[in-house]
Amino acid sequence: MIHVEGLTKRFADLRRGFVTALDDVSFDVHAGEIFGLLGPNGAGKTTCLRILSTVLQPSAGQAVVAGHDVTEDPAAVRAHIGFMSGNTGIYDRMTAFEMVEYFGRLYGVPEDDLHDRIDRVFETLQMNDIRDLLGSKMSTGMKQKVSIARTIVHDPPVLVFDEPTSGLDVLVARSLLQAIAELREEGKCIIFSTHIMREVEKLCDRIAIVHRGRLLACGNVRELEEQHGEPDMEELFFDLVTKHDESLAARSETAPVEAAS
Amino acid sequence: MNWRNVWLITSREIRDQLRDRRTLFMVLVLPLMLYPALTIGMLQMQWLFNEQPRTVVVLGAQNLPEKPSLQLVDGNAFVPGWFDSPEHVKKLKVVTDAPSQPGEEWDEDDLSPERRARILSACRSIQESTEKREKIESEIEKLAGKKDVAAEAARLEAELTAVNEELARDFAALDVQVMIVIPDGFAGQVESLVESGTDDAPPAERVLEVRTVRNVADKKSHVAYSRVKDALAKWKQHITFARLEQADLPKSLVEPFKQLETDVSRSEERAAQVWGLLFPAILVIMCVTGAFHPAVDVAAGEKERGTMETLLICPASRTEIVLGKFNAVGLFSLTTAMLNLVSMGVTAAYVASVRSSGEGVPTSLGALTPPSLTAVVWVVVLSLPLAALFSALCLALATFARSSKEGQYYLTPLLMVTLGLTVFCMSPIAEIDPLTSVLPVVGPSLLLKELLTTGGTLNVLVYAVPVLVTSVGYSALALWWAIDQFKREDVLFREAERFDFRLWMQHLLRDKEPVPSFAEAGFCFVIVMLLYFASSKPFQVFTGAASDPGFELRAMQALMIQQLVVIATPALLMAVMLTSDPVKTLRLRWPKWQYLVAAPVLAVCLRPVVLTLMSSLSGWFFKAPPDRFAEQLEAMTSGNVELWIVLLAIAVAPGICEEITFRGFILSGFNHSHRPALAIVLSSLVFGLIHVVPAQVFHAFLLGLVIGTLAIRSRSLWPCILFHVASNGSQVLYGQAVEKSIDSRWLDPFVTYTEVVATNGELTRAAEFTWTTLVIATAISAAILYWLVMRRFHTEQASRSLEPTTPPGDVKSLDAASVG
Repeated sequence: MIHVEGLTKRFADLRRGFVTALDDVSFDVHAGEIFGLLGPNGAGKTTCLRILSTVLQPSAGQAVVAGHDVTEDPAAVRAHIGFMSGNTGIYDRMTAFEMVEYFGRLYGVPEDDLHDRIDRVFETLQMNDIRDLLGSKMSTGMKQKVSIARTIVHDPPVLVFDEPTSGLDVLVARSLLQAIAELREEGKCIIFSTHIMREVEKLCDRIAIVHRGRLLACGNVRELEEQHGEPDMEELFFDLVTKHDESLAARSETAPVEAAS
Repeated sequence: MNWRNVWLITSREIRDQLRDRRTLFMVLVLPLMLYPALTIGMLQMQWLFNEQPRTVVVLGAQNLPEKPSLQLVDGNAFVPGWFDSPEHVKKLKVVTDAPSQPGEEWDEDDLSPERRARILSACRSIQESTEKREKIESEIEKLAGKKDVAAEAARLEAELTAVNEELARDFAALDVQVMIVIPDGFAGQVESLVESGTDDAPPAERVLEVRTVRNVADKKSHVAYSRVKDALAKWKQHITFARLEQADLPKSLVEPFKQLETDVSRSEERAAQVWGLLFPAILVIMCVTGAFHPAVDVAAGEKERGTMETLLICPASRTEIVLGKFNAVGLFSLTTAMLNLVSMGVTAAYVASVRSSGEGVPTSLGALTPPSLTAVVWVVVLSLPLAALFSALCLALATFARSSKEGQYYLTPLLMVTLGLTVFCMSPIAEIDPLTSVLPVVGPSLLLKELLTTGGTLNVLVYAVPVLVTSVGYSALALWWAIDQFKREDVLFREAERFDFRLWMQHLLRDKEPVPSFAEAGFCFVIVMLLYFASSKPFQVFTGAASDPGFELRAMQALMIQQLVVIATPALLMAVMLTSDPVKTLRLRWPKWQYLVAAPVLAVCLRPVVLTLMSSLSGWFFKAPPDRFAEQLEAMTSGNVELWIVLLAIAVAPGICEEITFRGFILSGFNHSHRPALAIVLSSLVFGLIHVVPAQVFHAFLLGLVIGTLAIRSRSLWPCILFHVASNGSQVLYGQAVEKSIDSRWLDPFVTYTEVVATNGELTRAAEFTWTTLVIATAISAAILYWLVMRRFHTEQASRSLEPTTPPGDVKSLDAASVG
């Protein structure tokens, strides 16, 4: 469903000069599985997912989502993706129903099915009580529900959740994770990015560890444990990240020598 | 393009804006409230700031004639008969030095006797000072032309300055606006002139002088004086008439004719003048204001509230999103403008009707007739491209902003520029002509002014076509820009980081790229423009007036210095400081030999074509430049300077310096994102703008397009320099050859001469290229240009096949450096 190969993204930054936010990342995600992107803040997770949602253009590499290339047919990719992140807010001056209806139309849900579909989504997410509430009047949890409803209203085969639980209380986060698990049962292809270890262990079928724009490890929990001989996910993650930083430091020390020779 | 998406976004944005109280207030409530509120406010201000009575001191009042028919002052006021309206008498309070009658009662707002005495004594000293001043001035005049009186003259000058100082200080210290001094024996002379019967006293030969003292720089004094002057004139005329009557002479002796006025304007026409002045201004300003807030809200506001990405990930394309938002903003802009016009029109008409039907002074306007239906239709038609232009511009600027606050900062300059243009269009000298009709904002604004005031005669309606075509073109350009902004990642995802000047400078100097950025190129142009502006005064001082001897040579020297210091230096410095590869930036590589041959040939062949084009445009499209400019131009080509100096200053220096800046630094910067066509057009535009005079701007723009193409194709500056030198050089040689065609006849095969009368009345020779010359020159130029453009595909294809291997390598090595 999702095929990513050699994906790279660079941009200029005022503080750090030229930054490679994503460096030669490759992975595949299939229907009916949840793929976890695990990494510290600023690892490049959001950049990667933004490229998948065609909001950013890759500097190099290829990404195919639901059979459509992100650079060649971005509109088709967007139509087949449900995307939710901390940056996809909801409109203050629209009610929950208007918001979902608007995006349903933009995503091309046929007018005849639209209201049935909205009713069903509102039913599933138990948000009929906030149906006519304006976005500005909603709590964080309510907004998150509207966002999910917006993400799934067009029934996309691919779903991307970028740190969806950040800023949520335990109860709301739990029900959100449940909702995502249910979507997997429907056979969706899901990417789930987070920096919270426990969520990954609980939810994801396969995991990719990203740090400083590089994919350090990829596989299911058991595979990773076996590969790196570390039963505890958190320790494993920490080991990989420190090792990578050390090797980078070593390389930058040898770099001037290379240049001189 | 999915129009359903555009419509969905448009309708959402409209609904969203209608739910926003701030927008509703700005767009709907404010226009309806503003004009009535302003009118009420202005009426109240009128009451608040009623003109206060001013004080006039009359010295020598005892010399005034006492005969009732000749009386000037009555008590502490002028005699009402000398004023147009009795109201005006009250505006002037008179203080005289006539001894007050014992037992006379003083009104409470009158001066106390002590204060009166103080004022009068101060006025007497002022009177003495004025006499002293006159004496010194006459002495200075006597000295003029004499030798060896420098010391004496200096002493007198110093004295004069002292007296002037004293006068100004004393008058300012007094709360008196005008002072009148009546000379001794005035009453006697006037009365003897007028008295009939007693012929024993012959009319005096001496003309007595009545002096008035006032301060022109003081507004109050100026207004009071203008009233006093009118009164004195009437009084004088009365005396004259009385004298004539006494001598049995007709009045026509001093008044050969009476002036009568007939006004043929109809009330609609007078109203049209008002509408013609107000409507275009209000329309333009309100189109901006109406677009301003919704644009900030739908673009920057969307970023600020974190919903931008939600919209970007939906299947609607960026173009559809921008179009949707543009429609909504445009609608609000249009609505605001229309509501403002209606509200202002209704208020103005109402106020005019109240004032003209009421008692008191009739207004000069009379009742304001509403504008005709055709006028209203024109307002609507012209408001469409205006609203579209401003909506697209506001949207593009607001998209660049990270927050609403930032958006307002970016849009304020747009508002200021528009206000400036509006003020320009309101001035009576601004009339529509072929040139102004194709300018953005100015064109529609002037056309509307003309249509409203003249009612749409045929010679005005002709301009509707260019105005509408160019306005739609400008709107489309602005919209394209907005869409382009929306497609840029660095614009959409600009991070809201705190601005740190030190960090920014570090970034500029550390993260150099081989070629400058777009912004750096723009900055270079701004610097050049500012230096050009700042240097105009020193250069003017240096060259002196066009009539001064040696002007031509100094002008040539000034041109060369200006080229080096103002044009070339900033670009050279910036290329060295801000880029990692100044040689690549300034295109200092050696090109293929074909370009070095093609460039000068093209320049020389284009010369007749361009000259013919420019002369066919001058007069009707481009008005003649100011006389001063023509004088200087003539002085420069007059042949008083040796030819090689002229060629050096007009051909070689600009050829090198302007090319370094415009085809070197600026074109490289504009081409940063590899859009050569856009880069060429923009660099030509700034190259044109530096030439100030409209015709020159257009001329430079055209040549800039050609040289820009040459620069991009050959990837070298040398052909550009050759072209520029050959182009300017051939113009100089041509100009000189025409001037001296009698002794140099090399031009004869190419041109035909005609005798024309120049503006100064002299007979001069004008040359026109023959058809064969033009056809051959056009053909060769076209062939070379075709070759240039076709080469584009070859080079582009070649570079494209190379692209995957070279650029990533470059960036990789940079990355490795920055990671460490």
